[in-house]
Amino acid sequence: MHLTVSLNIASTTGQAGALTFSDLAGFAQRAEAAGLDMIVLDDAPPGRAGSGNPFEATTLLAALATVTSRIGLVATASMVAHQPYNLARRFASLDIISHGRAGWNATMAQAPSEAANFSRPDGFSSDEFRRRSEEYIGIVQGLWNGWEADALLFDKDSGRFHDPGKMHQLDHKGEFFAVRGPLNVARSPQDTPVLVLSGLAAGDLDIAARTADVILLDERQAARRKARHDEFRRRVSASGREPNAVRILADISLAANGVAGLADRMEEEFRANNCDGFNIRLSAHISALDDFTNRVLPELRRRGVIRQSYGGTTLRSHLGLSGGGDR
Amino acid sequence: MTARQMKLGAFLWATGHHIAAWRHPQAHVKAGIDIDHYVALARTAEAAKFDLLFCEDAAGLREADVSIASQTSRSIGFEPISLLSALAVQTSRIGLVSTASTSYNEPYGLARTFLSLDQLSGGRAGWNLVTSASPIEAANFGATGLRPHADRYERAREFAEVVTRLWHGKLGASGHDGQSFSVCDPLDLPRSPQGAPVMVQAGASDVGRDLAARTADVVFTAAQTFAEAKAFYDDLKGRLAAYGREPDDIKIMPGVAPVVAETEAEARAKYEELQELIPDDVGVALLSSYLSISDLRRYPLDGPLPELPESEGMKSRQALVIEQSRRDGLSIRQLARHFAGARGHWRIVGTAVQIADELQARFEGGAADGFNVMPSYFPGELDAFATLVVPELQRRGLFRREYEGRTLRDHLGLKQPV
Repeated sequence: MHLTVSLNIASTTGQAGALTFSDLAGFAQRAEAAGLDMIVLDDAPPGRAGSGNPFEATTLLAALATVTSRIGLVATASMVAHQPYNLARRFASLDIISHGRAGWNATMAQAPSEAANFSRPDGFSSDEFRRRSEEYIGIVQGLWNGWEADALLFDKDSGRFHDPGKMHQLDHKGEFFAVRGPLNVARSPQDTPVLVLSGLAAGDLDIAARTADVILLDERQAARRKARHDEFRRRVSASGREPNAVRILADISLAANGVAGLADRMEEEFRANNCDGFNIRLSAHISALDDFTNRVLPELRRRGVIRQSYGGTTLRSHLGLSGGGDR
Repeated sequence: MTARQMKLGAFLWATGHHIAAWRHPQAHVKAGIDIDHYVALARTAEAAKFDLLFCEDAAGLREADVSIASQTSRSIGFEPISLLSALAVQTSRIGLVSTASTSYNEPYGLARTFLSLDQLSGGRAGWNLVTSASPIEAANFGATGLRPHADRYERAREFAEVVTRLWHGKLGASGHDGQSFSVCDPLDLPRSPQGAPVMVQAGASDVGRDLAARTADVVFTAAQTFAEAKAFYDDLKGRLAAYGREPDDIKIMPGVAPVVAETEAEARAKYEELQELIPDDVGVALLSSYLSISDLRRYPLDGPLPELPESEGMKSRQALVIEQSRRDGLSIRQLARHFAGARGHWRIVGTAVQIADELQARFEGGAADGFNVMPSYFPGELDAFATLVVPELQRRGLFRREYEGRTLRDHLGLKQPV
């Protein structure tokens, strides 16, 4: 069972009001000590002035990467707020800074009023947003693959820094973007940063099946989760990928469940193959993590449904995904 | 009150500022993929009490020709905002300035990102505003060609205005609906610990200078001679009054590429060692790119620079190179090799005393408020500057021995914006 925790910074408070970096560093370190696969850093949609919480998710990820060593770090970043070339660079760089622990959470849901802050006052229609998102994700993943794993030579004597035959232009020209590439950041230590997709509507499932490494299912009911899970697995296979190439994590909220019955419910759903694990949504107080790690985790560990400790060092290795790292 | 002291930036650039730096035996060749290397550089600069770390940036490769690109270390590196965010929590005092382009960003996102860096660092962030001049970058953003120079600066002016209003919480209920950008909401982050991140600019053309006079706190520039530096300094400071600002509201910090050693002979040998590592192709391609000409290699290498049309690229740097080729009567090969060491910035080769003398002369002669130091290779040349030149400047009372405050504005002696 994979376990991640998602932190809505905008709605979260520390011990006494607004969060400080050291609150968040402490949170990440506790989550790492508990052996969680990753933290998903949500990003407040624009227009919520005065939330009182000071960090944008990708900059926060870079900072947290320097105070942790094993846990995966996933930042939410919007496809409206960034150009694909810039976003691909940011995450490629974050992956090198974190030694292969970075992931990008791309939300497929259009945030209200966001486009209006980015010189698109009319926003995008749902269909346009979906086509644009698919094109965008393809560009980012293509850029991440622009450098072959052994492209860098570092040969001082011959004066060959890299092998030009192993650096590839993308030459993308699509409906919304034209991007030549290649990226000016080296290949990721885990080949590509992990792509997490969330906010999926029914019409997004095929895009996710083709591109995602992880999907976050926010379906609340267990029966519907099962149906969504099975449907999604079929589509992953239909897209030509191994059915297990994507991890499906079901959102679960501590507050709604209490600690007592949580381990039972998680084990039951996991064994019923409703999901590959859970994304624990924390809000309000980050100390809520302690309830989970001190009480629920030991129980899950005793039942043998989660691993005892990190086996590798990259996020892909924690998630059991193929790709680089730990080679 | 202490006497006026110079401001120093540590200009980071992967393996080093010299184009052949990465080939130097003591250069860290994997700098562009090694975060620990940068943490060490940042700590060296902070221990030496530098005002700030400076990262330049381009959203694309630097060389159009892949064979040239593969002979330099410049095709890969860290994206600077993520790099500085990591360094923010690994340092405690030094300022963190990153370049970001107004051409391929939106003001809301950029304002928010820099404000987040500012929060992470406790008020030490700065934004170096540039308008991208490279067609290689343009091709990564759907542009079919580079926008004309004047259009780029008009967009930059509006961009800077929106970012400043967002940082200062002065975006009213009606938001901003302008020529290039529209924004409807205020930022969702708290106000900067230093009032607002520091605004830096590097453009030196006429419109660039006006934009700087209107909005910048710090100006980076390239000047070879004292006379050029002085003329730029006087011109820019002279433009401030038109915007209701005082001369001291802007710190002018020209780039300087020192090569320092215990003796002058050792410094010269060190410089020559680097020069020997430059392939002619690479040097000429670099010069071509700064002159915005596709390829100088079709002209005789040992002949003079041809007559060039005025570019839509980096106007001021082009003029600087042309001026130098005429002044010193240099061939293309000589000019390329000269240029490859520091991309047209001022270079001083010598002992700590000689370098301090030169810096002091420009600082006290009213041609600079400080310098952006461009070590030829890392980490060795930053170490050399920190251990040889900084103590010499401190002995002369020209540079701080301890940080006076916590924020970048404190270090630079800039007023908090109201």
